This record gives sequence, structure tokens and C-alpha cells, in this order.
Amino acid sequence: MKRWTRNFFILASLLIIVSVIFVPQKTMGQNTSRVSDVQLLARAINGEARGEPYEGQVAVGAVILNRVNSPNFPDTIAGVIYQPGAFTAVSDGQINVPIDPNSTVVKAAQDALNGWDPTYGCLYYWNPETATSKWIWSREIVVKIGKHNFGK
Amino acid sequence: MENDNRLRHHMKTFYRILARNRAKNFVIAILLLTTIFGAYQYDRARRLQNHLNNTYNRAFHELVDYVNNVEIKLLKTLMTSSPELTVATLRDVCQDAYNAANNLSRLPVSFGTLSNTEKFLSQVSDLSQSVAKQTARGVPMTDEQYNTFLSLHSYALELEKSLNDLKNDLNNGNFKWENVAREKEEDLGEASEHMPVTFSSLDENFSEMPTLIYDGPFSEHMLNRKALGLTGKEVTENQAIESIGRFLGKKNINNVTKVADNNNGVIDTYNFRIELANRKDHSVVEADVSKKGGHIIWYLYNRPVSEAKIGIDEAKNIGKKFLEDRGIANMKDTYYLESNGVATINYAYTKDGITYYTDLIKVKVALDNGEVVGYEAKGYYMNHTERNLGAPKISLEEARAKVIRGEDVKESGLALIPTNYGTEILCYEFIGKLQDKDFLIYINADTGAEEEVLLIINSEEGILTM
Repeated sequence: MKRWTRNFFILASLLIIVSVIFVPQKTMGQNTSRVSDVQLLARAINGEARGEPYEGQVAVGAVILNRVNSPNFPDTIAGVIYQPGAFTAVSDGQINVPIDPNSTVVKAAQDALNGWDPTYGCLYYWNPETATSKWIWSREIVVKIGKHNFGK
Repeated sequence: MENDNRLRHHMKTFYRILARNRAKNFVIAILLLTTIFGAYQYDRARRLQNHLNNTYNRAFHELVDYVNNVEIKLLKTLMTSSPELTVATLRDVCQDAYNAANNLSRLPVSFGTLSNTEKFLSQVSDLSQSVAKQTARGVPMTDEQYNTFLSLHSYALELEKSLNDLKNDLNNGNFKWENVAREKEEDLGEASEHMPVTFSSLDENFSEMPTLIYDGPFSEHMLNRKALGLTGKEVTENQAIESIGRFLGKKNINNVTKVADNNNGVIDTYNFRIELANRKDHSVVEADVSKKGGHIIWYLYNRPVSEAKIGIDEAKNIGKKFLEDRGIANMKDTYYLESNGVATINYAYTKDGITYYTDLIKVKVALDNGEVVGYEAKGYYMNHTERNLGAPKISLEEARAKVIRGEDVKESGLALIPTNYGTEILCYEFIGKLQDKDFLIYINADTGAEEEVLLIINSEEGILTM
């Protein structure tokens, strides 16, 4: 009898874990106003470079904008951000995390849009500790800012 | 009666068995629930997968159609004789190539696989636009341009063939989008057994593309621009730190550390982290100093800004004084943007009544205490140089006569404007109104051509042009 009760509890907790993982999570605080370029860029920076020095956050925003201006990439901010496989923060849904309009990432997005570019036209960045793609290492490093290498 | 008793007896036994196996039954019930739950999730995932595949299929099929159009219309363009039809066909090529590039970027191939193809389509679109403008101006296609288009057509033909092969594979079920995303160079061998053409091999066709130079933003010459405004000799790290001291004021600085060398090939710099004196927290300024000449290229000081106490006009004066004190004279404020309590003001160089919209410096002024919290002079150092502009070939009156639309048209002087392909044009600048909106109109001071029309957007956040 005891063994059955134990097994029951194990199964029940398994079910709870499974449902937590698979049941769709509601996205919080979806507001109805049009998500502007600053917001979208800020969310991308938040997902990709939160915790980096301020300059590193501006740099990630600048790379996205440099891609918009490059023939090798889509030519809208949304096109670049949502290009399949381009950013892990998009693939894993971190881009949807709501952000405070007064947060640092919004300021960084605004500075990038206003023309600050610490990377001088770089199109790529990667974290040397976690980058898995061999291809990205074939890029020449222009500058290291925080944890990221930036390249053209 | 006997039957009843027997039934009751059976029921009792049944309940007893049930009771004895209560725990077992629980487990069975949970297993059942889990199975149903799993089946539901599986169905949901399958439907999502279908939806995704449909979007990918749509993007792919549209890509194939647009590339077919580009291939045909590129050739058509070369057959047209009248400027009207040439322009119309070129505009079609431009749009179809743009749409092809757009759909291409939606395909779930591993990142970077189709980079050269994307570039090819962008440049075809861009070049067609540029030649269409030229044709509309009355200048027919040159022999060189004719040959470029012929060569681009052969690339388009090759792309069309590869895409049609892939389309057949897709229609025959030879590949699935979920596998394409995993296609990498190392496992190409396996993939190519079933597929004669892969996305990677398709892209390789374009790796040897000739460089294209023309009047457009995606032209190759835009990638190799040199900084014209960087004066002075190479400076050492210590001399660069001296520059920072002069720029921000030595007494305001606690210490400066070099973080990195930035050898970007455009403006090589030292990257510094500066700690300001007399600040409890938020004391870090980040800055770049050019190795040539030791100029401050940009700096950023990110700190919280409290309630605004100064207005935009005062901020503009603070910015102007800031520049003058650092030896950058003759700068005029043009447009500005306010966000999070900080005004970012654009200053353009002026001389002899000409505004140089090419030589730009941006200054960030915090509106709580008027402190300058950011500076960006890349545009200035890229473009600022002695120019031999010469006198305008047409008079102000002649230029004014070219502006036939808009109300209350006023002239506002000469301006040097940048093109999106890296050149500069001397223009007469006019301001006109339409539907209560202000517009800037630029008339070429040598040819009288209408070069640009900009809408002035005057909002709570600032004044911008579009």
C-alpha cells in the first residue's frame, strides 16, 4: 500500500511538471498600442545584451541597424530581428518579455537609432564563451565590448 | 429475491475489490489522463507545424515567382528603346527583386546560408532603381551598364534554375523545412544524396559576383569609405587620455582605463572607460578616441535623469557652447529629439551661408541640469574637409521658379546635402507648406534638378525630417 502511495505521488508530480512545461504560458501585459521601432529594438537588446555595459547594449542595437543598411540582410528592423535563426533571444521568445519604458535598454535603443555606433558598421557579434557556430569564428574581430566580440 | 441477494453480494465483492485497489486505480486514471493530455498536445504541435510549413512554403513559392519575373524583366529592359518603357520595366525589376529578397529572408535556412543571394537581389533592386532615375533624367543606359545588366541576367537565370530544382524537390517531398534549418556545411554530404541542389550550393553561385559600383546605397564603394575629417598625427594611449582630460575637464575625472583597441578600418580608436569624480553611483562614461589626431569620436554617459528644469532653447545653447569651448566652431543646430528627459540635438557645420548637412555632430543634453551626457561626431570626422564648391551655376530666382508646388515657399539659403550613396550635392533649400505641414525642398544649385523633398515632423518628441 505504501509503495503505491509513493508511486502515486511521483506520477502526480510528474504530471504537474509536464503541464507546467507544455501548457502555453500567457504573455503578460500585451498592450494595444503600436510597438514602435524603439520598443522592438529595445526588446531585442534586452534579450541579447541585458547585463552588458551600456556601450555593449548600444552596440547590439547598432549591429541590428547596420544589418538594415546592408545588402546582405533584410531592410527593415523587424525583418532583421525576426530573420530565422538570427538571434537566440527571438528563437527562445525572450524578445516578448515586456520592458519598462524607462529602462536602460530603451535609452540604448534610442542612442543607436540616433546614430551612436561603437562598432563602426559591424554586422555580427558573438559571445566567445557560448558561440557554437564554427562559421562565426571565421569573422575577423573588430572590437570586444563586454562579453561580446563584434565583427564585420 | 435470491437473484437480488446474489446481485447485492456481487456488488459488495466488486466494491471491496475496488476499495482494496484504490491506489492502483488512481494510477490507472492518471495514466489515462496523461495519455489524453499527450494526444491533445501532439495534435496542437502538429497543427502549429503545419501552419509554419505553410508560411515557409508561401515564402518559397513567392520567391521562385519573383525571381522568374526578375530574370525575364532584366532581359526585357535591354530590349526596350523608349525611355518611358525602360523606366517602367526597370521599376518592375526593382520591385520584384525587392520582394524576392524579402521572401528569401523568411526561409528557415541556417543563419547566413543565403547571404550572397540576398545581396545579389538587393543590388539588382538598388541598381535598377538608380538606372531608372538616370533614364528618367534623360540619360540613356551606358554600354557598361548594358553589360552589367547582361551579366546580372545570367546570374538570375542560374538562380532561377536552382530554385526550380529545389521547388521540384519540395513538391516531391524530398526535403522538409524542419530539416533545412539544420543543413550545415559539415553534413552537406548526407543532404546532397537526395538533393542535387541545396541552399548552400545555390548561394555559392554568388560568391564570385563582380563588384557593382553605381549611385545607390548598396553599391560596393559605400563599404570602403575613408574618414576625410581626421586631422593630425597618430597619438599614443596616454595622449588619447590627455584628450579626454581636455574634453571632459580633468577635475571631473577620477580615472581612465583603456578597455580595447577598435581597429575597424573606418576610424581606428582607443575605447575608454572613464570614472567621473564626485558621483555616488552612475559614474561611468564610455568613450572612443581616434588613434589619428586623438579626437573624441563619441562618448556616452548613461545616468538617471530627473524632472526637466530647462527648455529646448537653453539646451541648444548649452550644446553650441560645449562645441565652441572644444574648438568646434560654426555649428548650427538643425533638428532634435527628446526622450527620457534628454534632448539629442543635431548640429551642422555652416560657412559662407552654406549649411553642411554632411558634417554633423550630435550632442545629448540632460534637461534636469543641462549637463552634456553624450556626444557623437562620426559624421563630422567622416566628411568635414576643405571643399571647392565654386559659385552656383543657377541663380536663386531660377531655382525658386523650379518649385511650383506648395504654399508660402520661402528660400532658406544654400545647403550641401549628402546622397545615400556617399556623394554631396550643393542645393538651394526652400521651405514650403502643404496641408499645414512644412516641407524642405532641395534644388540642385548647378543643374536645377529637384534632388530631395523632406517632410518636417514637428512633434512633442522633437523636430525630425523624413
